Amino acid sequence: MVRVNLKGLFALVARLVLAWVFIRAGLPKVQDPAVFAVSIDGFRIISGSLTLWVAVVLPWLELIIGIGLLTPWLRRASAWLIAALLGLFITLHASAWARGLDINCGCFGETADSPDYHWLILRNLGLLLIAIFLLRKDAGNKTTPEHSTT
Amino acid sequence: MHLIRQFAVILVLTAIGSAYSLISGLAPLPWAEPEIGPNEIRLQDARVLDVIWVDARSEAEFATEHAPEAIFYDPGDPGGSMALVLENWLMEPRVIVVYCSDEGCGTSKKIADELRANLPDAEIYSLKGGWAAWSE
Repeated sequence: MVRVNLKGLFALVARLVLAWVFIRAGLPKVQDPAVFAVSIDGFRIISGSLTLWVAVVLPWLELIIGIGLLTPWLRRASAWLIAALLGLFITLHASAWARGLDINCGCFGETADSPDYHWLILRNLGLLLIAIFLLRKDAGNKTTPEHSTT
Repeated sequence: MHLIRQFAVILVLTAIGSAYSLISGLAPLPWAEPEIGPNEIRLQDARVLDVIWVDARSEAEFATEHAPEAIFYDPGDPGGSMALVLENWLMEPRVIVVYCSDEGCGTSKKIADELRANLPDAEIYSLKGGWAAWSE
């Protein structure tokens, strides 16, 4: 009889969901950084060439940590970076909401919709909780590849 | 792999990806980007927004070609032109972008200032590079 490790199964699903979200978020922005730069400008926090640098680098970081989360030898740093980015996104959305900005979130590339701040913040909080769960699991798991192979 | 080494690998991969975007032309070069004024907007930025275009060139130039659904700003009837822009904005508040012929013309900035005085709640820009930017 096959014994199902529910926590392990949940961790696998959580990892796949989080990885999919970051890969899905990174890909369209890698393909069109100029449009993403407009979304960044909308937050009225940075401008000019710094905006363009962020629009070039951030999508690649999202894509790589999304893939990294599924890669045993990159998963811990990826989970840390994902948690840090989600914390940053929550802060930025809350700040834009407080300032009454009608931003284009730019989360998954170009959209014309006005932001639903409740949803954006709740969604990122949910993803942050998933990332924290994975970090705690990896920290407590003595058989993760980095412990067993190094 | 040690955590620091993992961060280093991610950093290097991100740098390689970013370099690819810059070299392949997927991304505009940040250091080559012309500086724009506080009330100017680049064509690439304006085109992804739903904007009200205001054409501040001559009537002949407007008749030949103009931005989609652009409003001609008639210098002979500034009051009427202003009212038309106001009416459009009130029907559906959007970003207003004024353009004239090219980088050197100052009409778009002047008209954008006039519009700003009449529509303090609107987001109004002059187009960087003017109409010439469309044909580049």
